[in-house]
Amino acid sequence: MLTLTNPAGLWALLGIPAVLAIHFLQRQAVILPVSTLFLLEKTQRESASGRRFDRLMNSVPLWMQLLGVLLLTWLLAEPRYQKARSTQRVAIVLDSSASMTVAKEALKTKLIAALPDLQGPATALEITLLESTPGRPRLYSGSSPEDFAAALDAWQPRAGLTDPSPVLRLARSLVAREGIVVYATDTPVEAPPFDARLLSPGEPLDNVGFTGVTLIEKEGATLWQALVRNYSGNRTSRTWQLELPDGGRTEPKSFDLEPGAIITLQAAFPDKAERVRLVLSPDKFTLDDSLPMVAPKPKKLGLFSATGGAYEELSKKLQRSLAATEPVNDAATADLTILSYDPLDPVVPSGNAIVFVHDETRGGAYLKGGIVAEKHPLIDALNWQSLLVRETIQLQRRPTDSVILYQGTRPLIFLRESQATPQTPASRQLCFNFDLRLSNAATQPAFIVMLHRFAEELRAAKVAPASELLETGQAIVLAANGAADAPPLRVERVDLDGKVLDTTTLPAAARVRVEAPLDAGFLRVRQGETDLLAASVHFADTREADFVACAPADTLDEGNAVAVERHTEEDHWWRAWVLLLLLALLISWHFTREREAAKVQTPAIKPLETTP
Amino acid sequence: MSPDELSRCHARALTAAGRLRLPLRSRVWKGQAGEFQGAGVGSSLDFQDHRTYVPGDDPRHINWAAFARTGQYTMKLYREEVRPVVDVVLDASESMFFDPLKAARSAELFCFAVESARRSGAATTVHLVRGDFTRAVPAELVAAHRWLDEARALPATDPAAAPDLSPIPFRGNAIRVLVSDLLFAGDPEPVIRCLAARQGSPILLVPFLKSEATPEWTGNYEFVDAERKSRHPHRIEPSVLKRYKESYINHFALWKNATRRHQCRMARVACEPDLQTALFAEAIPSGALETAV
Repeated sequence: MLTLTNPAGLWALLGIPAVLAIHFLQRQAVILPVSTLFLLEKTQRESASGRRFDRLMNSVPLWMQLLGVLLLTWLLAEPRYQKARSTQRVAIVLDSSASMTVAKEALKTKLIAALPDLQGPATALEITLLESTPGRPRLYSGSSPEDFAAALDAWQPRAGLTDPSPVLRLARSLVAREGIVVYATDTPVEAPPFDARLLSPGEPLDNVGFTGVTLIEKEGATLWQALVRNYSGNRTSRTWQLELPDGGRTEPKSFDLEPGAIITLQAAFPDKAERVRLVLSPDKFTLDDSLPMVAPKPKKLGLFSATGGAYEELSKKLQRSLAATEPVNDAATADLTILSYDPLDPVVPSGNAIVFVHDETRGGAYLKGGIVAEKHPLIDALNWQSLLVRETIQLQRRPTDSVILYQGTRPLIFLRESQATPQTPASRQLCFNFDLRLSNAATQPAFIVMLHRFAEELRAAKVAPASELLETGQAIVLAANGAADAPPLRVERVDLDGKVLDTTTLPAAARVRVEAPLDAGFLRVRQGETDLLAASVHFADTREADFVACAPADTLDEGNAVAVERHTEEDHWWRAWVLLLLLALLISWHFTREREAAKVQTPAIKPLETTP
Repeated sequence: MSPDELSRCHARALTAAGRLRLPLRSRVWKGQAGEFQGAGVGSSLDFQDHRTYVPGDDPRHINWAAFARTGQYTMKLYREEVRPVVDVVLDASESMFFDPLKAARSAELFCFAVESARRSGAATTVHLVRGDFTRAVPAELVAAHRWLDEARALPATDPAAAPDLSPIPFRGNAIRVLVSDLLFAGDPEPVIRCLAARQGSPILLVPFLKSEATPEWTGNYEFVDAERKSRHPHRIEPSVLKRYKESYINHFALWKNATRRHQCRMARVACEPDLQTALFAEAIPSGALETAV
């Protein structure tokens, strides 16, 4: 196959009409006085009249000049011949951010149309299709344009803003230095790394969408409050309405939004509805036009205080500050027990608990030495340096206890964890190895934060139903029955009316990591007959909903010359063509000069005038 | 042509006449006394023969020495010297003057013929002819450079017609010089017959341009007829040009044959070289002129 490295060189073909025009024009009728007209008329009956334009004369200069133009065109176009068995490798990195849903079809059209150009003069094309999100499997690898198009169809961009550099680096390593890396996005970057070319079908859009939602209790009723933002620079008007599980809809209510404004929509959550969906009048970017909601219900912690009178006030404060707790009357049913250690009764009951030392003496001197915290999630990033502790009696420590805070060599706080036995479940006890009343711990922020962390860890580990508002793709960890004979978990995507759309099964474990779907909707997680989670999933990535920075770009043609040189070889005869061109010009010049010389030698025949 | 140009042409003709002349010596003349050897006995200094005295002979030519030896009157006979007769005819058609080179050469040839004849002491008459109209002009007009005005003032019924020489009163036994480019259609026979009549010796001095003989025409032309001033569009292609050249050669071949039949001497004189070079190249070999040694 022949490839023209410089197709613009074909403009040189315009030299052909130029040469012809020159030969036409230079041969217009010449007025010439003659004395031998009677001889001419006697011999030339067929040429009684001339023409306005001369017919082309079969002259050597004409043909030499035409040959010269053709040779010059050939040389300027820089023809190259395709090498056998050359393969062009192309890695296309798709921006997997959610905003690409708008430009997906346009991108597919452009990419498929660009494949022949990307292949260039190579005999084969090898395509690798990747997403910009690191760690994702490649979408397609092969040489079939049909399969490539199918892979593009199946691609669902739902991620947030990601740095494409790692995947571009991977793409460059896949295609090597000679290959082509294309970064397909809707928000062009100035200089894509790793010599990547850019293809952006994006354009600025006027988008309005939900940015978040909260549900609050107010005067005994549940209210939802949804934030709506106008991302565009234009004033706009929208309507909203609620979709109910029974298929009903509320009346559309319109509202106006100033450029860049955020407003809060608020209404009561329907009493008997488990799920509702708040929808905006649609625009081109539909992901943020729908807001599924469930009434959030966190898992409740049962609190039991067994501190006697010593820590009663502290117990009440803790109970008030922790959300979603309820007091219980015995330690057996409690999720968390607040205990005080009495040296006269040193047996500490099992179960999750916070244990304080109860020392009736006045205590000893203040402890000396540096306060050192171990690396532990409960105590991470907390400052204990202002803690003052008097010497008191200490808890009886076990070898399995994990000390998390020391002063000098004296353990101040340690964690006691017990494995589950056939008779008792696993438990955690946070033990304060000093009497709080003889210290300033109650006034330390680190102390309060640590107690909350401990309580929330217990709540997370509790196997109980909960309702939550999740964002698309959000990862959550669920506590489940991890027993060997426990049933697996079923992760169900459900419709507004509770109809199961699809189900995913996860193996049973004490802690199960579940990722929210990429599309807005409702989610339900069950283990056997036990409901673990009922959640709504909504899109809330404001960076992706903002299309102001989107713009078209196309640099696919950059560097084509290098590919052409790699997959083709030059015309080895070009030196001969240059010599032939020079020869043609010399011959043309020679014959033209001869004619001019002949005219100079016969000045008697000089035109008096010429017609224009 | 301006008077200055005419003067220059005349000067060149005079220069050429110093080295070349009309072929007066190549024939025997009869007529008035002159510088050239006549057919009879004359009074020149050239001794020819002796004969016996007869009454009536000029006693100045008696050979007294022979009378003393023999006692008989013997006459010395000397060669007769006669004056040649030259008629010069100029074709005053426009084709002789349409081109500066050709006009100059025509003027030079005409002046040369007249001056050469006059320098030889010939009885010279000058005639201008244009088509069917002729006019005799005094030879002195040539030296006065006024002949051209006379020539251009000649009227003509058909300027492109062949010159009609029949009205010219050619003298018998004269050299008749016709200065013409012979570029007119028609049979050369009547023209040469007129020139050769009454024992005339015709000489044709024919100026020609190289561009007329071998033109470099190609493409479209609007030819202006030098005689009629009419315009004629023509397209010249190589084949046409080839035929034109053949026709040109045939035209002069016809004249050549006709002159050969009438023992006429014809010299085609190129306009491009200088006069003497052209005359030496063309006129001497053909016998139309001879060197003035």
